Parts: sequence; C-alpha cells; structure tokens
Amino acid sequence: MKHRRRDALQTILAAALCLGLTLLGGAAAKDFAPVLEGHRLAFPEDNGAHPKYRTEWWYITGWLTDAEGHDRGFQVTFFRVGTGLGADNPSRFAPRQLILAHAAIADPATGHLLHAERAERALDPLSGASVGNTHVWIDDWSLSQENGVYQTTIHSASFDLELTLTPPGPPQLNGRDGFSQKTPDPANASDYYSRPQLAVEGGLRLADQDLRVSGQAWLDHEWSSQILPETAQGWDWIGINLNDGGSLMAFRMRHRDGSTLWAGGTLRHGDEEAQILSPDQLHFEPGRRWQSPRTGAVYPVEWVIEIDGRQLTLSPLMDDQELDGRRSTGAVYWEGATRLLEDGQEIGRGYLEMTGYWRRQTGL
Amino acid sequence: MLAIENLRKRFDTAAEHPLFEGVSLTLAPGQSVAVMGESGVGKSTLLNCIAGLESVDGGRIRLRDQDLTALDEDGFAHLRRRDFGFVFQAFHLLPHLTLAQNVALPLWLLDQDDATADRRARAMLARVGLAARADDWPRHLSGGEMQRVAIARALVHEPALVLCDEPTGNLDPERATGVLGLLFERIQDAGAIAIMVTHSLAAAAHADRTLRLTPTGLVDATVAP
Amino acid sequence: MSSALRHVFLASLWRRRLATTLSLLAIALGVALGLTVQLIHSAALDEFGRGIRLLNGAADLQALGPRDGFSDALYPMLARSPAVDQASPLLEIEARLPDRDETLKLIGIDLFRVGAVTPALLPMGEDPDERAPASGGQLDALRPDALFLSPAASAHLGLGPGDRLRVQVGTREQTLRIAGGVPGAGVGQRLAVMDIAAAQQTFERIGLITRVDLRLAPGVSRATAQAQLGDRLPPGVALLTPEDASSETLGLSRAYRVNLTMLAAIALLTGGFLVFSTQWLAVVRRRQEFAFLRAIGLDRAELRRGLLAEGGVLGLIGGLLGCLLAYLLTALAFALIGGDLGAGFFRGLAPQVQFEPILTLIYLALGVLAGLGGAWLPAREAARMVPARALRAGDEAEVYRARPRWRTALAALALAALCCLPPPIGGVPVFGYLAVALILTGAILSLPGTTAWAMPRLPAGRSTLWRLARARLTAAPGQTVVAGAGVVASVALAVSMAIMVDSFRGSVDDWLTRLLPADLYLRASDASASGYLDAEAVARVAALPGVAAVRPVRFETLRLREIGGETSGEAGHAMALIARQVRADGGLPLVAGTLQPPTGPSVPTPVWISEAAADRLRLGVGDAVTLPLGEQPHGFQVAGIWRDYARQQGSVVIEIADYRALTNDSRTNDLGLTLTPGTAPEPVMAAIRATLGEQQSEMILPGELRTMVLEVFDRTFLVTYLMEAVAILIGLFGIGTTFAALATSRRKELGILRHLGLRRRQVGTLLATEAALSALVGVAIGLLAGGAIALVLIEVVNRQSFRWSMDLQLPIGPLLIFSLAMILLAAIAARLSGAQAMRQDAVLAVREDW
Repeated sequence: MKHRRRDALQTILAAALCLGLTLLGGAAAKDFAPVLEGHRLAFPEDNGAHPKYRTEWWYITGWLTDAEGHDRGFQVTFFRVGTGLGADNPSRFAPRQLILAHAAIADPATGHLLHAERAERALDPLSGASVGNTHVWIDDWSLSQENGVYQTTIHSASFDLELTLTPPGPPQLNGRDGFSQKTPDPANASDYYSRPQLAVEGGLRLADQDLRVSGQAWLDHEWSSQILPETAQGWDWIGINLNDGGSLMAFRMRHRDGSTLWAGGTLRHGDEEAQILSPDQLHFEPGRRWQSPRTGAVYPVEWVIEIDGRQLTLSPLMDDQELDGRRSTGAVYWEGATRLLEDGQEIGRGYLEMTGYWRRQTGL
Repeated sequence: MLAIENLRKRFDTAAEHPLFEGVSLTLAPGQSVAVMGESGVGKSTLLNCIAGLESVDGGRIRLRDQDLTALDEDGFAHLRRRDFGFVFQAFHLLPHLTLAQNVALPLWLLDQDDATADRRARAMLARVGLAARADDWPRHLSGGEMQRVAIARALVHEPALVLCDEPTGNLDPERATGVLGLLFERIQDAGAIAIMVTHSLAAAAHADRTLRLTPTGLVDATVAP
Repeated sequence: MSSALRHVFLASLWRRRLATTLSLLAIALGVALGLTVQLIHSAALDEFGRGIRLLNGAADLQALGPRDGFSDALYPMLARSPAVDQASPLLEIEARLPDRDETLKLIGIDLFRVGAVTPALLPMGEDPDERAPASGGQLDALRPDALFLSPAASAHLGLGPGDRLRVQVGTREQTLRIAGGVPGAGVGQRLAVMDIAAAQQTFERIGLITRVDLRLAPGVSRATAQAQLGDRLPPGVALLTPEDASSETLGLSRAYRVNLTMLAAIALLTGGFLVFSTQWLAVVRRRQEFAFLRAIGLDRAELRRGLLAEGGVLGLIGGLLGCLLAYLLTALAFALIGGDLGAGFFRGLAPQVQFEPILTLIYLALGVLAGLGGAWLPAREAARMVPARALRAGDEAEVYRARPRWRTALAALALAALCCLPPPIGGVPVFGYLAVALILTGAILSLPGTTAWAMPRLPAGRSTLWRLARARLTAAPGQTVVAGAGVVASVALAVSMAIMVDSFRGSVDDWLTRLLPADLYLRASDASASGYLDAEAVARVAALPGVAAVRPVRFETLRLREIGGETSGEAGHAMALIARQVRADGGLPLVAGTLQPPTGPSVPTPVWISEAAADRLRLGVGDAVTLPLGEQPHGFQVAGIWRDYARQQGSVVIEIADYRALTNDSRTNDLGLTLTPGTAPEPVMAAIRATLGEQQSEMILPGELRTMVLEVFDRTFLVTYLMEAVAILIGLFGIGTTFAALATSRRKELGILRHLGLRRRQVGTLLATEAALSALVGVAIGLLAGGAIALVLIEVVNRQSFRWSMDLQLPIGPLLIFSLAMILLAAIAARLSGAQAMRQDAVLAVREDW
C-alpha cells in the first residue's frame, strides 16, 4: 500500500512539516483579508476554501463504534495556510498556499493516540483546496462534499479511515452570524460555522483489523487572518454532540497566567433555536490533571464547565490523548474524545482540545 | 663403509671413449686414501662423481649400503649436507661470513638453531687452533689459516665421508704439511672415511694408502713410509 | 635453512647496497605512483559517490532530460502514477557567481517532497530550535531569495546566514540571502539548496525542472516502472536508475583513470626489470658461492627460494616505502591540484585522504610481485647451474649465453597484433593494454637474438678495444639482455608516450584552429552554468561599431532513449547538442561527409555528429536519425562526422537556424565575433563590457583560448610526463647498476686484460664501448617497440577509451636526441661504474682466485 512506506519517513517529513506549520504565524496579517463582522456566510459557496484569508481549517472530530460495541475517538483535520509568498511567481510550484492535514485515532485499547500527518504546497492536481465547495486534498488524503454529504479518506501506516459523514441539518453558525470573536479586540476573530451531529458510516483499518464503524461526528470550518494575539498562551475548546440531538461548542482563550482572556460558545438543545454564549455566560473550571510521560506537560483532563449556572462535567475517553508533534509540527497539545456529564449522567459525547500547556501555542 | 664398484665416466655424453672406467674402491670408516694421477685423468671428476655433483655412466657407489647412484640431484644434495665434508683447493670461504659463521654453515643447512651451530662451530675452530679468531673475517687470514677454517667446516657436522680436492694446492710446502697433519688428525678423530685428490707425494703420504687413477681403473701406488 | 637464508641470502642485499637501494627506489616509485593514482581516485570517487548517493538519496528511478530541463507538467503525471510512491521534483542549476568567476551547484527542491527521497538535501534554518513566529525564520525555506549552503560551500565561499550571494542569470544578476545550511550534505559537497519555485523564478526557468526522483510503490520493479512510464515521457526525457545516471560521469573518467593506472603499472614493471638486472648480476657474481653451497648440500629448491626471498624482500621493503610515499603524494596532490589529477572530472569535490587497506595491500603485493618477478629468472638460472663446473672459476660467460628466443618473441608480437582487434570491455580497452604488454615482452625477448645477429655484422675494425667489445657481446649476448631489458622497457614507454602525446597535441591544436574561425569570442558563462545571452544582448553586441558579424552558438544536451535501435546500458545518457552556423562558417574538423549538404524543401535537416556520437549511435554519413528537440522527435540526416576532443560522451551539431525553428529557444551561450578589417579587438571588448556589464561576460581571443586549452592539455598530461621521467630514470639506474655490477663480476677478466698490457683508462673505454653497443641495441629495439606501442595507444587505446581519432605525428628530432642521450648516458654510466670497480688493484683481483 502506498502510504505505508511513506509514513515510515515521518521523522524526515517532520522537518518539512515543522517549517510548514509554523509558517502559520510567519506571514504578516496585513497580507491577508481581515475577518469583519457583518459578512454573511452563504452556502454552499462558503463550504469551500477562502484563500484570501491566512488560515483555514476543516476540523472533524467524533466517536466511532464498531460492530462489537467498542468506542473510539477520531480526528481528521485539513488546514489551508496562505503564506503571503509567491504572489508574483508564475511557477506552478509557487508556495502561495500550503495544505496540511492531521489524523488521529483514540483507542482505549492502545492507550495513546495513533497519529499521522501530511503537508504539501497546493499544487494542482496533487494537492489543494477548492473554492466554492468542500474539497481539500493532499495526494490520497481528502475531504470532499457531494450532495451535502461529506466524505473523507485517510491512509497511514497505523490506520486507514474511509468515512461518509451526513449532516442532519443546515450549518450551525457560531458567534454573531458566523463572526466568532476570539479576544476583547474584535480584530482577533474568525468566520466560523459547525456541522454537529454528523452521522458517520464507514471503515476503519487498524493494525490487523478492518472494522465497520458508525457514530457521530462534528465538523468545524473556520477561517481567519488573525486569531491569537501575542498575549495569549493557548485555548481550550469543546465540541459536543448532545444526546438530545443538540450541540454544544465552547471555547476560551487563556492569558499566559492561565486566566481567561475571552470565551464564547454556541448551545442548542434538540431542535431549539441556538443560544450564542457570551464570555460572561461561560466559566471553565479545570479538574483532575494528568501529566504526560513524554513531554511532562500537565493537562486538566477533566473539567467543570458552568453555563449560565449549569454544572457540566467533562470526562475523557482516556487520559493520554496528547498529540506529541515535537518531531513533526512542533506543536504539542491534547485533543481527545470526551464525554459530557450532567449530574453524573452522560448527556453528550464529543472532543476536547487544549493547547498551550506544553509551550505557548504559536501559529494556529 | 664406502664401496665403489666398476665406476665409468665419459668425457661428455657424446664421447665414445671413457675418461675412466673400472674404478673400484672400498673404504671402511677411519680409512683414508690419496688419489694421484696425471693432469686431465679425471681425479676431480672422480671426486665430483662420488659427491653426486657429476653423473656417472656406469657402476655403483654405495655408502652404508645405500646406493648413491640411484639418488636424484636433490636427494644427493640432502645426503651431502649430512654425510659429506668438502675441502677445496680454493677454500671457498664465504667472504661476508665470519669464521664461526663459515664453519656453522653446514649446521645451518641441517636446520640447527643459531646458538647450537655457533657453539659447535667455535668448538671446531678451537680444534683447528683458531678459537681466538672465530669472529674475524676470512679476508684477514693467511692461506693456511683459511684452509684450517675449511677443514673445520668440512668436519663440523661429523660427516661419514670427507672429500678433499688438492687441499694444499694453494699453500707453500711448510704450511701444507701442517694443514695436512691437522686434516688427517681430525679425520681420524671423527672416524670418517677420507678421499684426497692430490698431485703431491708428500701430501699423499698422509693418507693410509695412495692410489693412482688411470683410464682403466685405480692402481695401488702406496709408497712405504 | 632459515639461518642460511638470513646470513647467506638476505644479508647479500645489504652487501650490495647501491644496487639494492636503486631496486628499492624503483619498486617504491612504481608502487607509489600506482597507489597514488588509485588513492586520489578512490578518494575522489568516494566523495563523488557520496555526492551521488546524497543527491540520489533513496530514489529508485530518476527522470532526466536535457541539461536545461524539461516541462514540469511531467512531475504531477509521474507523482500520480500508481507505480510511484513518492516523486520529488528538482531543478539543478550551475549558478555562475559573477564576482567570483566560478559556479555553484544549486538545487531547487520541493521542501515537502525532498525529504522522502533525498533527506540529506533538507535545508535547516539558522537555528533549528528557534520557532518563534516573530523571527520569521521558518518562512525562509520558501522565501524567493532564501539560499541554504552546504557546509563545504559555506566554508568555500566564506558565507554564513545573513550574508548575500550574487548569482548571474543570463547577463543579469540576482542577489540571494544565505538563510541557513544543508547539514545533511556532509563536509565534502559544495552545493546550495533553495525552494524550487524560487529557483524557477530567479533563474528564469519557469515551467522547467531537470530531474524527478521517484520512489516506486512496493512490489513495482524498476523495469516494470520504466516500461510503464517510459511511453508516457516526451522524447528526450529518460527514466534512468541512479546507477545509470551516475555511471555517466564515472564512465567518462574511467578511461582516464585506467590510463594512469596502466602508466603506473609500467613504472612498476620497469622496477621489476631493475630487480631482474641486479639480481641477475648478483647471481653471476655469486656463482661460485652458490656452486659451493650446492656442493655442501643446498638443494636446488632451497637455492631458488633463497634468491626469490631476496627479490621478495626487496619488493616488500620497496612496496612499504612506496605505500608510505603514496599517502604523502596523495595528501600533496589534494593540497596542490585537487582530486581529479588535473583532468576536471570531479569539480566541486573536496575529497580527503583516507586509509584504504585493500588498495594498499594490493599495491604492496604488486611491489612484492615485482621483486619476485625480477628475481624469478635469475633464481631459475642459478638453480639450473651445474655446480661441478661453476666451482671452477671463470665461467660467468656461461650465464650470458642467452639463447635467441625468436619464436616466443614473434608469438608475442603476433598475439599483440591480434589484441588490437577486439572491442573494449566495459569501456576499458583491456586488449589494447594487453597488446602493449605483449609488444614490450616481444621486444625484450628479441634482445638476445638481435644482439647475436647484429654484433657479428658490426665492422670488425682495427682497434683492440672495439674488437674486444664486439667479441664479448657476440659471445655473451645475454649481457645485453641484462643491461638492455630496462633500457628497452623505459625507451619503449617514453617513446610511445612521446609519439602519442605529440600526435594528440598536434591534432588538438589543429582542431582548435579550425574550430575557432572568429576574431573574438564572448560568453555569459560556461555553457553549463546559469549565464547566457538573450537575443536582445546579441543584437546589442552585433550593433557595436567594429563588429562585422556574429556567430551565435547554443549548447544543450540530448538524451536518446534508444541507441542504435536497441536499449543499451548507455541509453538515456546525455549527449552534447551544439547549435551553430555550419554551412556559412565551416569550422568543423570533418573526418567524413561534407559541410555543404544539398538544401531544399524535401531534403532532411542535416546534422554533423562527432566520432563518439557516430560510435554510440552506430551511424554513418547519410543515415537518418531522430533526435528529440523541445520534447518533440525530429528527423535528421547525418551530413558529416567530425572530430571532437571536448565531449567524450558524443556531440551533435545542427544549424542554429534549424535549432531555433524547432525549439523557439533563442538563447546564445557562445558568440563568435567577426570584426571589420582593421579593427583591434581591445576596444570592441571594452565596448562589450560597457554594454553587458563588467562581470557578467567572459571574452577571449581565439589565440588566448588556444593557449589556454593547450595549457589545460599539458596539465592533464603532466602526470604522464612525470611517469615518463620516472621510467627513464629507472632505465638509467638500470644501466648504471648493471654495468657497475658487470664490471665487478668481470674483475678477473678485466684484470687479465690489465696484465696483458691494457691501461686502466682503456679498460674504462672498453666498458663504455660495450655499454654503448648494448644500449644501442636496446634503444633501437625500444624505438621500434615504442613506435608500435604508440600506434596501439592511438589507434586502439585512445579510440576505444575516448572514442576519438588523431593524426600520427613522429617527433623525429626529439626522439633522435633522446636516443643518442640514452646511449651516451649508458656509456658514461658504465665508464663511471667501471672506474669504481677498477679502483681495486687489478693484479690483486686476478690473484684472488688463481
């Protein structure tokens, strides 16, 4: 199979990825269009790429259950990064846009994440991000959308994914009609919508088993030219599919001292109207901590999140869902499958992302 | 016991007439004989034939019941190094070896180690009266001294047979007598058989018997002492 | 026996110290020269191989095209092929550095792709741990002006991160910034890396790449992939294995290396002859001693072993000295002339002296072999001697009887003639070299016969000395063999090299004169580097006052996937393409065909191919040939075959008008200028500099270029001259030691002559006469053998190694002078050494054994 040898070269690719990913912070924001409030998102056009903005990602997280009832978490992310370089270069290799991708499987049987990544300059037909419809690809890794249904294909040495993800309804706009402010300064903002409650069907290959899997997933599509200010250390984010058919997205940006710089979220119960959460409606309270044996970073793997006085608890599928990218992207963060509990009862499942616990999160 | 029976030798392979034929001689250990004869009669050739340095055209030579005429060249060479001693008119000392080394040469060929060979060579040199000069070079010796070294070399490995070709040919009569006396004393000490080719009656007198080589064989020519 | 071996045999080496020293020296020199050549090349090849491995990485196959590249649309096609796992596009450029007047190998890479195939080329920012976005360091690898230098390039250029480097593109300049290093490149490779898009833009190669490295999908063999993908490649682009690709350069340098190795081998052979001479004489002198030793019981094998041991020890000590010397020479050569022995095959490499155990052992063994070989015949002769006869003094003449060996000599020469027929093996003219060795053998074998034949035919003369000398040599022709073998070998070698080099030089000179018809030549850079003249620059130069006409020349390379109708090992190897005016200018040194083929609409476009191209493509005048130009096949007809000393790999000349019509490539590499009558070149040169820039162009007058090329030629053959000198030196040593030893061994004979009333001076004259006569025979045979070897070198070895012909030229004057000098030197050497030997009182010498 094509990808197996390639992944054996991960350590080599690492250097390239390192250069690629950290580029995200490299280009000056002024080279790109700013995200402004009042821009109305339009679909299906806004499903596609927005190359005028510096950074963009399609971020899928979710839970998969196999025929025997084992639960696993998965993550598939495609990034598009504008470099601000090569605008005047007619070469087909001109590095105006880079495409990066990550995929990970959280399997309690393994105890840590299986992880793979790719990086390329956008170079048709080998890799790219289409404008106008969802189609991002690097070689044989891809995410696309046809008739509203997403399809993604990932091949790596340790696992393959082949999934269709069907959204039950229209996109869920975050923030103010899709304008998601990240700090008190509205210049730090993104255009941001989510596709919660995606019904997942497909195949997962692990080392020696080919599994039919199904489950629920969450897709974030977000683009921006400027998110993280100098003063920010990192962020915490959750995207949870609620058992009642609703969804909860919440994030907070942290100061270097760990205090909250900004917070926001979107909460929807069942078929109800979505509720946009403002910074003062949200409170993040870290709970049990877990220290990574690899990096020594300490992550609060359990949380209490207070939304308008409601006490919700986050409990991870497993503790070790740290993504150690020191040899590749240079970024180290925790990205893991998590249950949402209220009064001890599971009310939803989704993903928790924590960045900036090892070193300050740069780039994204 | 050396037994020569009916030895025959031609001038060369093409010649019709033999140089000599019918040469017979028997010698027991401790016996010595002088061979005389006219120039060109083949005295040295006879010695060479006995030593295996020249081939014979007929007859047999036996040493201790071993048929020497049956040996090949290298077999003869190995026999020579063990059982033969040579004294030449021209001494043939190797100029770049000390007296002790010259005397040790036959022992080297018998694969004796350096130390043993050196000890025996020095002992032998002492018996020819040159102990003090063991580390000297041949070029510093007189003719008589050289021949004494050659005698030591011929006898150092206790050969069964000593062949002497005009051993005093290069010496004045006074020295010759001294050297010959020494030579035959040492040969008798060793109980070896000795054959000496010589022109000199005085020299011949040192041997037990004197024979004259003629084309048809050896005739007794012993002069009563 | 061991004591005897030590005291009797080996000690004798010490006693004849002069002869031993000379033999040692000869062997040491032969071993040293041979091993040095090998060490230098093995180090250069090692570094070259490291470079190849570094640049090829883990590639299974490489798509290669013309030097200036092929369409980069090929890259996605190859990358998406199911047979391909990884594809990494590269753009290789020899960037001219205008202010340094040299070039730098620059590789445009796709950062995201190169790691999978050639990780050693990954660039590294200034500080790999510095990841702060504010530094902007990580952007560098993709920035259009970011250049990353290998450690060797960084050291050579004296540039580090933050420094700037000017590169030339066409006649313009671009400034690049050193953004970091290429740590994986190691210390021996001078190269630079930048982003492929930036390289395309900077060097105006948009849309072009020069190479795609492929790693094949598991289970796909190279042959399968070559077959599958080959058909989808445009003409002129070939899919080669990295071994094929690197063998292009290795193949070119191999012939040169083999040549030098052979020369060193001949030096070693001459050393062997010297051992032969000295051993032979030693055997003669110690004849009685050996007879005595045999009498007291040394057997023949022991005697032979003892003498062989003498030769072996000489060889061993000489070999050890030689090996030591070789390492010193190698270090010196690296310090002074670099790793390619002046031939220019391995530019840009900085090889290091390395201990090569196997090579060293081989050359040590060769030294021992030369010693043993030289001692072999003398040892056999000694073992053969009849001790009873040798015990009597005065039979040394016996040794010099030497039977004529006409039959063996003739057989060797006939075999040599046959060896000129077969083709080379793997590009190396093995049989040609065999023929050289056979001629040498035949010549030496014919020595006794020739002497025996010639001496009685010399005029008898009245002089006693003359008659004595003649009688001596007639009776003992073997003496001539002993003294003359070294002379024959060294004269033959020197003469053959002289004739070959002279013919070569003369032919190159003639070739240059014909190839350079213009008054002045202008170029932006070496044809393989990044400078060129565009149409506008050419027009500006043509418009300058004093310029009557311009002749543009464009250099490219071609890759033919099939050669001679079959896919051979060389298929896909590059061949030079030269587009220039032919009909109008002439200037091609043709060996066949015409410069003025018929023109007309139905007549195919003419090409003129070099001898090497004719050989490789198996084409003759009038044959049709299809050549890929601009990724399209075009039909041509061979109008002529010309002689090209510059491009061993073969070259194809077409009319520049045809080339431009077929490719739309209007660039010019070299521009020949014809000046209006009466115009001096200097003001025109000044005007050009003012037009194109001070450092962006190189100009040269044909005369200067000729001088320069011939200088390069002479430098290339410097090693050859050196070896020649060594061979002659060894030959003279041979004569000197031979006659010294002869005089010593004949002390008695010469003593008798003194007794009979010859004066000391007359004895000296006798020896000199004998030596001169011996040398005369040796030199005469050496001249003939040398001529024959030269023919083999020109017609077989050069033709097969380098695929070019040359016109035979005989440097008669120098050869005559050289021959007379050899004879004179032989006489002097014999006279001097004889005097030395005669210093002892002759009367005493006679008495010694009387």
